[in-house]
Amino acid sequence: MNNTLTNRRSFIKKMAALSAMTAAASLFPGILFAEEQIKGIPDGDLEWKKGPCRFCGVGCGILVGVENGKAVAVKGDPNSSVNKGLLCVKGYHQIMCIQASDRLKYALVKKNGKYVETPLDEALDLVAEKMKDTIEKHGKDSVAMYTSGQSTIPEGYVASKFMKGAIGTNNLDCNARLCMASAVTGFLTTFGADEPMGCYEDIDHADYFITWGNNMAEMHPVLFSRMLEQKNRRGAKIIDFATRTTRSSMASNKSILFEPQTDLAVANAICYEIIKNGWVNKKFVEEHVNFNKGLTNIGYGLEDKFSFKDKATKINFEEYKAFLADYTPEKVAKYSRVSVKDIKYLAAIYGDPNKKVVSYWCMGMNQHTRGTWINNLVYNIHLLTGKISQPGNGPFSLTGQPSACGTAREVGTFTHKLPKGVVTNKKHRELAAKIWKVPVDRIPSKPTYHATEMFRAVDRGDIKFIWTQVTNPLVSLPKTSRYRPAMEKESCFVVVSDVFPTPTSDVADVILPASWHIEKSGMYGNSERRTQQWDKMIEGPGETKPDAWMTIEVAKRMGYGDLFPYSEENHAEEIYNEYIQFHKGAKHGMAPLEVLKEQSGAIWPYVNGKSTQWRFNAEYDPACTNGKDFHFYGKKDGKAVIWQRPYEPAPEVPSAEYPFWLNTGRVIEHWHTGSMTRRIPVLHKAMPNAYLELHPEDAKTLGISNGENVKVTSKRGSCIMPASINERGLPTKGQVFAPFFDENLMINDVTIDAFCPISKEPDYKKCAVKVEKV
Amino acid sequence: MPIKSYLAHPQEDKKQALFEALSKIEQCEVIPAKNEDLLIVVTDTNSQEEEDKLKKLMENIDSLKLLSMVSGFNTPKND
Amino acid sequence: MKRLGIISLFVILFVAFIAVWNYSYQMGSEEAYVPLEPAQESIIIPTEYGVFQRSQHALDYENMPFDYEHQRSLETYYKNRAFPGAPPTIPHVVADERNMGDNSCLKCHENGGFVEKFNAYTPVTPHPQLTNCRQCHVPELTSGEFKPNSFVKKQVLGAGNNNALLGSPPVIPHQLQLRENCLACHAGPSAPVEIRVSHPERTNCRQCHVPSDTKVQEIKSFTRNKKE
Repeated sequence: MNNTLTNRRSFIKKMAALSAMTAAASLFPGILFAEEQIKGIPDGDLEWKKGPCRFCGVGCGILVGVENGKAVAVKGDPNSSVNKGLLCVKGYHQIMCIQASDRLKYALVKKNGKYVETPLDEALDLVAEKMKDTIEKHGKDSVAMYTSGQSTIPEGYVASKFMKGAIGTNNLDCNARLCMASAVTGFLTTFGADEPMGCYEDIDHADYFITWGNNMAEMHPVLFSRMLEQKNRRGAKIIDFATRTTRSSMASNKSILFEPQTDLAVANAICYEIIKNGWVNKKFVEEHVNFNKGLTNIGYGLEDKFSFKDKATKINFEEYKAFLADYTPEKVAKYSRVSVKDIKYLAAIYGDPNKKVVSYWCMGMNQHTRGTWINNLVYNIHLLTGKISQPGNGPFSLTGQPSACGTAREVGTFTHKLPKGVVTNKKHRELAAKIWKVPVDRIPSKPTYHATEMFRAVDRGDIKFIWTQVTNPLVSLPKTSRYRPAMEKESCFVVVSDVFPTPTSDVADVILPASWHIEKSGMYGNSERRTQQWDKMIEGPGETKPDAWMTIEVAKRMGYGDLFPYSEENHAEEIYNEYIQFHKGAKHGMAPLEVLKEQSGAIWPYVNGKSTQWRFNAEYDPACTNGKDFHFYGKKDGKAVIWQRPYEPAPEVPSAEYPFWLNTGRVIEHWHTGSMTRRIPVLHKAMPNAYLELHPEDAKTLGISNGENVKVTSKRGSCIMPASINERGLPTKGQVFAPFFDENLMINDVTIDAFCPISKEPDYKKCAVKVEKV
Repeated sequence: MPIKSYLAHPQEDKKQALFEALSKIEQCEVIPAKNEDLLIVVTDTNSQEEEDKLKKLMENIDSLKLLSMVSGFNTPKND
Repeated sequence: MKRLGIISLFVILFVAFIAVWNYSYQMGSEEAYVPLEPAQESIIIPTEYGVFQRSQHALDYENMPFDYEHQRSLETYYKNRAFPGAPPTIPHVVADERNMGDNSCLKCHENGGFVEKFNAYTPVTPHPQLTNCRQCHVPELTSGEFKPNSFVKKQVLGAGNNNALLGSPPVIPHQLQLRENCLACHAGPSAPVEIRVSHPERTNCRQCHVPSDTKVQEIKSFTRNKKE
């Protein structure tokens, strides 16, 4: 008690001295204080340990203050070029969730409908036995694993090796399918290589930031603050292109609202204007771009076992130009509700050869039944104008999870993926078999279930064993009104590894207690291809173990021990060293561990001891070998693709019975399903429950006042929540919005499980609902 | 239990004298700037009365030109 | 027969009258009871209005030297407030009694500045959109009292003691309504020195500082609605 008191006081004294120094520096710029004096200020017994933040895909560097084996403080890592010492409110308070009273500390096994605390060894025996039994009785494809973009790189890697290399099934997918899949297919179809070509330093060079359906002030606040700084200091401009007025709109120089789904048409209209006004960068397009068209009327994946394969046909520039004739600003303005003037304004920004433009987007474009298309269309704009792969110029797809890039995309915890390449490619299977030391024919060549289909298979009874790690699908899936009862069925044995109880663990047969973030070692990879490593900082409570280690333990019990020869203390590093063999070479080389330990992350391709900040640009990227300024080496002929993609309507649009669009999303205080952030008192108190935002005029018509309970209903389900009028966000007329973090007010019972036929990523942003007062 | 930080501006050429005078006071920690005529003082006292007394004491030092408070914290007694 | 009919009609009417009168008497003697429905509990989420107001001045705030001689402190800040959160009284003579604020008060209080006459910096209002200033702010024309009063002014807590972790950003300890615009009070020469922000150039204040319930409404800790 006394100890903490003195420490707190000495800490405050340091803070007081620091604020005086800041004030002194504003009086006398360049003022210096003796080093030893600063050190002499008591710092308590805090030891600061470096790592990445637990939450979003920005991947801020954090320093965790550890005192007597407990995490007591967090600050931004000033050495991290991502956040330069700044964090957001979630980041600063993240460690507080560890002490939540309902932390899962021991394994729980359901016996006669009750959860019984069980020694971890016994629980793992049961999981292995059940998995083995199921495979013997029903075949390899009756067991599945569903992991996460929050799994560390080693955790994703052993899950992939276990399912694809040891058992021999492609029944592995992850929640990144719900957030990043369209970005991946967008990159692959246009460039043949996944992940952004630029990096966050683009912010320091760009003249314009155009955000597509993206509320960065709340969802990527640290990057947004970097943009604001450029706006204030350099006069850079932020243009907010969205379906709802948000905090980001308030800070932007201009906010342009569009009707849901019409972003497809507006993007085409911008290209139309660029061509019409002669703003095409002819040299760039001739040297570096091909034109393709794909299939149209491609469906929405609403039915079980839906399948679709796109077919690319080469076209020429003239054909592409003729296609765009349907997308004049005048025609598009009619259904997009964006004025002709605003469309031309956007086109003029992209078209001005003297202005550097970065486009940012996240879920608005990815969670879209035409998600791959809209990603392609924004790339079209940057390719036509040649504004790509240069400092301050480029399209930038943001991510929502700390290792959506590092684990889900790079390690490849999707059904069709391998750590390098895809299961359908023989060479890629051979490489995996060689590194994993398994027979090549054990890795099946056909992908099986993507996320939505995986849970449909659980519902149908095709999957009889499922193991989820680091994710909470029964809050985050669309149409949980179907998938919750599905998971409750006796036909499927459910294993849930998590840190806290969630609606997903509520339906589990076995709950495994996982270590949280800083209680284990690991690596994450953020949106700008930056890999970041951290060492275990504190001991976890009870029998908690890292997810990777629990997977390994089950694999051993199933007889695959020789494939997982790692030590418990050091498995994260041993696995990483095995994993980076997959990515050797100039196009995807990963930084070695020594580098990651020393600095606050490194960007791949890491070649000759250097991060590559701008890929495909010969000036920065040593993998460019065609002797030209740019080389899109992801494609065989070194050229990127401009795709002809039309506007097609959403699968469900407002009707007389269901007159409103429903949009869902997040708030700054909570991260995803809130299982961590709601257990942090500061964050819960600032945002205690979900709500339904209405336009004030719609609310008036319906006789609804602020805070009153309303029932929002779709064809799939309903949810009762308080109305919010003119508070955090302002949807356009005819639209309502709800955040999805609240497991007690489940908006995903209402959403639709339609998805992009190419990426299989669901659309959480558009479905038709009615709203009633209750 | 207040903790406060101040910027202390010395009279011309009296920086060293001010530093010595302030360093003698038990509740004060002093950090002099290396290249400017300025000192940072952090005070740690047990009560508001003690704090007031201390402030008077500091203000009466001859070598001091101006004392300005930058930040103040008050930690509860039974933390 | 006709007479019998008329008489029986009257008898029926009479009986009916007695019955109705009796029933209404019975009802009338029952205790009046209006069922009370507890008002629905709902949490007010502060509006985003004004989040980025004044951020165009952030760089000026950052570069502004400190004027120590004329700085305000929390002590002077609370001097003309009856309790924390009360609207401050007007400590100077009012120029024009018949004007709305946008023509008079806001001339000085919208952007602030040094006033020779008062030897002080003008406080900046966090809510310039509300121009009926005198609805809440009144001058002090006399120092006397009509009758003595024993109202005790609540002790004002100092700044810097409302963070959850060592060094984590402090939460917002006050109500946000009418105070959505952070920089008005927390930056510039008129900001009380204890609550003057060291990093006004950040502008996206609520990225790190979120409201807390301590001064507004009690929010219990997170509980799950799990069906047992």
